[in-house]
Amino acid sequence: MSVPADTLPSLVTHIRQCSRIYTTEYKIHKIVTHDDVIRLKGTFLAQDFNLKMPLGDRKIAIPMDATLKTYIDMSNFSERNVEKTDGKIIIILPDPQVIMTSSKIDQKNIKEYIGLVRSHFTDAEMTNYERQGRAAIIESIPQLNILHTAQENAARVLVPLIKQMGYQEEDIIIQFRKEYGLRDLQSLIHLDIEHEKNQ
Amino acid sequence: MRRINNPLLSLTAIGIVLILLVLLVGWVYRDIKTTRLRIGADQKIDITPQQIQSIKEIGEWEFLSISDEEMVDTIRHGIFSDDHLVRIYYGTMRLGVNLKQVEPGWIVTRGDTIEITLPQISLLDHDFIDEARTKSFYESGSWTAKDREAMLRKAYQMMLRRGMTRQNLQIAEQNGQGQVRQVMQGMGFKHVKILYKE
Repeated sequence: MSVPADTLPSLVTHIRQCSRIYTTEYKIHKIVTHDDVIRLKGTFLAQDFNLKMPLGDRKIAIPMDATLKTYIDMSNFSERNVEKTDGKIIIILPDPQVIMTSSKIDQKNIKEYIGLVRSHFTDAEMTNYERQGRAAIIESIPQLNILHTAQENAARVLVPLIKQMGYQEEDIIIQFRKEYGLRDLQSLIHLDIEHEKNQ
Repeated sequence: MRRINNPLLSLTAIGIVLILLVLLVGWVYRDIKTTRLRIGADQKIDITPQQIQSIKEIGEWEFLSISDEEMVDTIRHGIFSDDHLVRIYYGTMRLGVNLKQVEPGWIVTRGDTIEITLPQISLLDHDFIDEARTKSFYESGSWTAKDREAMLRKAYQMMLRRGMTRQNLQIAEQNGQGQVRQVMQGMGFKHVKILYKE
């Protein structure tokens, strides 16, 4: 196989030190479908037309699973996040974030229908549909009501930890910055966009 | 019947016919020139819903993340030519401690001193490959689900070999000590001692 050297992607390993407490894990299932119909489109004598060609259709359904996790970034945690009054401790946590940590294509259960005169879906076509499915899952995050559960679970993780330090459960208060609107939610979804831009 | 035999009139008629002919040809030519034909298929996926299958409360404290890309290739030898498939896989290994694995008495406080015994640094999630991000780099011949699954397993092992090194585990341990100390000092403890369980 000869591949021009200048088309080889640079493969990179990024190592990053961090301090994130993951509190909630979501398993998402999606079936990506694509209906591949060959169409003849164009303009003739100033008239637009769009005709389905009698070449046969192709259809594909790709089941996929994704794991989303919410986390609290503790890397800037300091005494400014803690208030102590009358034996009570108030912890003010930074905004929870959401990240897709993994995804899996159910290769064995991919279903294809190929018309008689059509070729099979190529690997490039299939990965293109899978990437679109991944993007659709990320776009749907604001509708999943994830961050409310993230806040509750952050408290469930941190309260036992603080109890071990000698505080009574009723004296521990976990607070968040504010209630979130849809616009806030969009900004809290952490994506590997920079990473993808480099591809 | 009277026959008109005026040469000037005949020339005028021929001229008009010629002009009309030129206009007609020009009109047809213009339309043919603007004619566009394209055969193709839309590459967009259909809109389908996604379902939440499970929600789980977890407690994983991550200290080091290793984002990796691996190019995996496979070859099938044929009689006349060989088939190739080259794919690029993406994954992020997350190293840290699972707070669900702490043992009773893992935090001991004495005045302004706190001693914390953390579980050993480990890979927080064994599902770390983002398979839906995979890029197809080169393909010849046709490939099956079994072939792609074998390539995914190969990518998984390659990423583990690259990411789960002694050096990375040590960096995660050191960063973990620093980060936990920072949080505990934020909570008001002056002296923080952090140990990892043997």
